Amino acid sequence: MRRRDLAAAIVLLGFGVLAVSQARGLRPGSVVAPGPGFFPLGLAIAFSLVCVGLLVSAVRAPAGPAPGASGAAASGRLKAVATIAGLVAYALLIEPLGFRLATLGLLLFFFKALQGQRWRVALPAAAGTALVIDLVFRRWLGGNLPSGPWGF
Amino acid sequence: MDLFGGLAYGFSVTLAPANLFACFVGVFVGTLIGVLPGIGPVATMSLLLPVTYAMSPTASIIMMAGVYYGAMYGGSTTSILVNIPGEAASVVTCLDGYQMARQGRAGPALGIAAMGSFIAGTLSVLGIMLLAPPLTAVALRFGPPEIFTLLLLGFTMVTYLTAGSKLKAVAMALLGMLLGTVGLDPITSTPRFTYGSLTLGDGLGLVPIIMGLFGISEVLVNIEKGIQQEVFQTRIKGLWPTREDWRRSAAPIARGSGLGFFLGILPGIGAIIPTFISYALEKRVSKYPERFGTGVIEGVAAPEAANNAATGGAMIPLLTLGIAPNVVMAVLLSAFLIHGVQPGPLLIREHPEIFWGVVASMYVGNVMLLVLNLPLIGLWVQLLRVPYGILFPLILVFCVIGVYSESGNPWDIIVMLAFGGLGYLMRKFDFEPAPMVLAFVLGRMAEESFRQSLLMSRGRIDILLTRPIATTFLVVAILVMLAPLVVPPVKRMLRTVPLEEAD
Repeated sequence: MRRRDLAAAIVLLGFGVLAVSQARGLRPGSVVAPGPGFFPLGLAIAFSLVCVGLLVSAVRAPAGPAPGASGAAASGRLKAVATIAGLVAYALLIEPLGFRLATLGLLLFFFKALQGQRWRVALPAAAGTALVIDLVFRRWLGGNLPSGPWGF
Repeated sequence: MDLFGGLAYGFSVTLAPANLFACFVGVFVGTLIGVLPGIGPVATMSLLLPVTYAMSPTASIIMMAGVYYGAMYGGSTTSILVNIPGEAASVVTCLDGYQMARQGRAGPALGIAAMGSFIAGTLSVLGIMLLAPPLTAVALRFGPPEIFTLLLLGFTMVTYLTAGSKLKAVAMALLGMLLGTVGLDPITSTPRFTYGSLTLGDGLGLVPIIMGLFGISEVLVNIEKGIQQEVFQTRIKGLWPTREDWRRSAAPIARGSGLGFFLGILPGIGAIIPTFISYALEKRVSKYPERFGTGVIEGVAAPEAANNAATGGAMIPLLTLGIAPNVVMAVLLSAFLIHGVQPGPLLIREHPEIFWGVVASMYVGNVMLLVLNLPLIGLWVQLLRVPYGILFPLILVFCVIGVYSESGNPWDIIVMLAFGGLGYLMRKFDFEPAPMVLAFVLGRMAEESFRQSLLMSRGRIDILLTRPIATTFLVVAILVMLAPLVVPPVKRMLRTVPLEEAD
C-alpha cells in the first residue's frame, strides 16, 4: 500500500462524491434534451470512478520509500507554508492598506523573516523594490492597483 | 488574398511602430523569463494579459506570441550554462549543452542553440503560412460532433502523453473540466455551483488558476528545495559555430524542425515532447550514439530546433480551429477573447491584419531573437547570477499584480493562492497540472459541442460514429490510448517525458 497515493485518492474521492451530490441538485435533463446538470453530473461520476481506480491502485501498489525527515526538508516546507501565509495576509491587506504599503510589508517579511537579512539591508531593499514596482505597474503601465486610505 | 499578398500585408502590419515595439517587448520578455528558472511562458503570458487591455488586438497577440517563442530561445542559455532548464522545453538541452560548456565549448553550444532555434522558428512560420489557409477551409466544415471529438482527442493526448500515472492524468483532466462548469451554464445561463456568489457566477478565472498552478507552486517548490544556481564560470567565446559544427548540426536541425512542427500541431503535445523525440531520433540515427550526453552538438541542435518549431505548429489549431492545443495556447486564446476576437476558420477573412500580422511578426521576432541571444549573451549570463532570494519575492508580487489588475478583486488573489497550494501538493503527489488546465479551458467548448451534438441527433450518441471526420478523431484517440500498451518504445518514451508545458 502506498500511503501518499492512498491519502490523495481519498481526498479526491471525497471531492468527487461531494461534486456528485451537488450536481444532482442541478437539472440534468435527458440525452435528448440535456440540461445544465447533465455534463457536471457525468463529469462528477466519471471523476469519482477514476478516484476509486486511484484508490485501488494505491492499495495494490508496493509501499514507497518513507518520506525524508531531514531538518533541511522540514525547514524548506516551513518556508513554503510561511510564504503562502504571507501572501494570504497580503491579499487581505492590499485594499485596506494600499498597494505600496502592503507590498512593502510583504517584501520586508520575505527579506527579513524568511531570508534572515539584516534590517539595514532588508528595509531599503524592500522599500526600493516596492517603489520601483509601484512606479512601473501603477504609474507607467496604468495598472489597476489600490491606493489605500492615505492615498498611496 | 494570396499567400505572398497576405505576407506582404502582414509585414506592413508588423512594421507599424506600435506592433514592432510589441514584438520586441514580447521576445525580450520571453527571452528574459526563458533564461530565469522558476517562471515560465504560461505564468508570464497570464501576467501580461491585463497589460494588453490598453493595446490593439494585433499588438497584443504579437506580443504574447513573442513571449512564447522567445522563451524557447532563452531557456537554452540556462540549460547550457547552469544545467537547469530555464523552461521545461529545454530540459533535454541540458544533457549535451552543459557538457559542452564544461569542455570549454559554451560558445558554440549557445550559438548553435540560437541558430537552430532561428532556422526552426523561420521554417515553422513558413509551415503556418502554407498550412493554415487550406486547413481553414477544412475547418469550416466542422460541426459540433467534429469539434467535440477533436477536443476528446486533445484531452486523450494530453493525458496519455504526460509522465507518470495515466489514471492520475485522467483524474486531473476530469477535475479541470468539472471546475470549468462553475458559473453560468453556456446554453441556458443557469447558475451552477455558484452558491449565490456573484463572483462565482462569472466562473473561476483562468489567470488566477494558471498563475497559481504554474507560477506560485513553482516558486514554493524552489523555496522548499533552496534552489542554488551556479553559473558555469568561463569566458564565453566563439559563439559562431565552426564549419564542422555546422556540418554535424545541419541534418539534426532539419529533422528537429520538421518533427517539432508537425508534432506541435497535434493537440496536447506542446513543445516538450518533440524535444525528447528529436533527441531520441538523433541518438538512433547517429554513428556514435554512445557519445550522446557527453557534449555532442547534435544533442543541442536537434531539441532546440524541435521546441521552436513546435511553437509554430501549435499556432495552427488555434488560428484555424480556435482550439488551444496546449496550455500556452489556451492563454493566447484568452488574449484573443479579451479583445472580442474569436480565432478559428473565419479569422483570416474577418481579421486578416491579426492573422497575417502575427505570421509576419514571427519572422521579425526570430530575427530580433537572434540579435538578443547572441550579442547580448553576456547580459543574460549576468542575470543568471541574480540570487533566487531576490527573484522569488519579485515573481510572487508580479503574480499578485497580474491577477489583481485583471479583475480588481482580492478574491482572485485568494483563488490564485489556493491553486498555488494545490499545485504545490500536486507536484508532491505526482499529479500533472497541464491536463487539468487544458481541460478547464476547453471543457466549456467540449460541453457545448457535446450537448449541441445530442440536440442535433435527438439524443443519438452514434452521431459521433457516422461522420467521417469525427469518427477519424475518435479512432485516433482510441489508438493513442492503446499505443503505450502495444508498442513498447512508445511506453518507454512516455516514461521519460517528465514535465508539463508551462514551466
